[in-house]
Amino acid sequence: MRAKWVPFAFLAPALLGLFLFRAVPILLALGGGFTGTGLTGETSFQGFDNYTSLASDPEFWNSVRVTLVFNLIINPLQVVLAFLLALLMAKPGRGVGALRTAVLLPITVSIALTSVMWNLLLDPAVGPVNGLLRSFGLAAQPFFHSQGQALPSLIAICTWRGVGYWMFFMLGGLSAIPPEVNEAASIDGAGPWRRLWHITLPLMRRSFGFVLIADTAANFLLFAPVYIITAGGPDGSTSLLMFEAYRAAFTLLDNGRSLAISTVILLIVAAVATLELRFFRADDVA
Amino acid sequence: MRRGGVARYAAMIALAVLALLPLYWLLISSIRPAGDIFRYGGRFSWYTLIPGRLTFENYAELTRGDFPLAIGNSVLVSVVTVVAALLINSMAGFAFAVFRFPGRATLFILVLASFMMPFESIVMPLYTLIRFLGWTDSYQALILPEVASGLSIFLFSQFFAAVPRELYEAGRIDGASWWQVYWRLVLPLSGPTIATAALMQFIQQWDAFFWPIVAASSPDKVMIQVAIARHANMETANWGGLFASASVSVMVAALPFLALQRYYVRTMMHSGGK
Repeated sequence: MRAKWVPFAFLAPALLGLFLFRAVPILLALGGGFTGTGLTGETSFQGFDNYTSLASDPEFWNSVRVTLVFNLIINPLQVVLAFLLALLMAKPGRGVGALRTAVLLPITVSIALTSVMWNLLLDPAVGPVNGLLRSFGLAAQPFFHSQGQALPSLIAICTWRGVGYWMFFMLGGLSAIPPEVNEAASIDGAGPWRRLWHITLPLMRRSFGFVLIADTAANFLLFAPVYIITAGGPDGSTSLLMFEAYRAAFTLLDNGRSLAISTVILLIVAAVATLELRFFRADDVA
Repeated sequence: MRRGGVARYAAMIALAVLALLPLYWLLISSIRPAGDIFRYGGRFSWYTLIPGRLTFENYAELTRGDFPLAIGNSVLVSVVTVVAALLINSMAGFAFAVFRFPGRATLFILVLASFMMPFESIVMPLYTLIRFLGWTDSYQALILPEVASGLSIFLFSQFFAAVPRELYEAGRIDGASWWQVYWRLVLPLSGPTIATAALMQFIQQWDAFFWPIVAASSPDKVMIQVAIARHANMETANWGGLFASASVSVMVAALPFLALQRYYVRTMMHSGGK
């Protein structure tokens, strides 16, 4: 007795918004990836030219490699840390609310401001982090100014900002686990590790799926720190694809190439997210 | 307190300090005289942590400009966005979780794809659309494009799919319409998910920078991140003003977090006390 229109009535407002403000602009951007801009500024259809030119560009491939390395490290790292943090902070108690808020606060600093602030904190000369290292008799570190440390520094500051935020999603998942389940297992003699492995983790798969996919999308689309701090350097070591897309549009004035790179980013995120959905079997919604 | 309890609190406090120290630096830098801001960074001393000389001039300066207006605009835009977004995205999440209908899988994939495209690459087409609608420099230009959110729909659908189907069926057998099942049965169970989705979209709007510059650049629509960023450009930086405005931004944005915290603790104690 289910009227056929009911689901569509529930979907209509949100899908109308997504269609107008996301789907249409995305389709136009995807189309733009197949165009080029001539010397006189006119736009013309160029087929796959932007893609073939990217495919033969070593800088583009370096950027793909950097982006994949960055994401292969930062996404699992943030998800695992967020989960451990949530386990640590799940149980209510005196002051726990304030401590949770403390680890959440970094997300309220915008990503641009996070970049400006950490660029100063990690400055080789005037940065307090190096000041602290020196006061312990340790050598000052170059951080963003060294090819080897720039990407790890980027991962560190994004994790500082993001991990408390993702913890919040994990707390939501943990709070949805009925306490009776754990109590019953406890009475049956299951220790804390077995309860974690056999009860908590399986019941958290939706939370893990959501956080991993949301985090993956956020990190593949990361742009501000590279733009503000490193400009892709030193020596291409932080040249994320988002920065390459920016460079194509604003330095090379080649909008078609920029949109082609954006399309590549969309395709990679979609492919990775599909794998993640499968892995956590969080796709029974779809 | 048991030994495990002491260790747990020690770990939580250490992590809280790690999270807060950079923000503390931001705050103390905002009340130092301009000449002192970078003076004690490179060589560590007590003055690195405790400002020797204080000034509140940076804050006084903020109250004289358009910063209060920027806070007001950002609060308005964030709150309206969150309220509208919670309603329509939870409805869509409910539909994906509860109903089987033709085109469902395809639509869900499109919902997911909507947050995977770099925003920067859709800004120009989006701006063209807003201009076509005659919305440039308006609140609706700042609010409406951010209300429907693929990420939020995804979050709600994940939660609603975990609710036992018997609950929906029971409601239907009792003669409730689908709207009543959604509004009276399911939403009241979704506290933490609603809180999380609200937080997510609040942060999205509070951090908004690029879109406000493009779509609503008139002085009366200034948003907080735009006002903060004006203290620094490629040539010069008013560090004191930057740090003061950033500190205010963190403190204002912390308020909904604190409110939601209480709410979280309550739901968790409730479920723990059964």
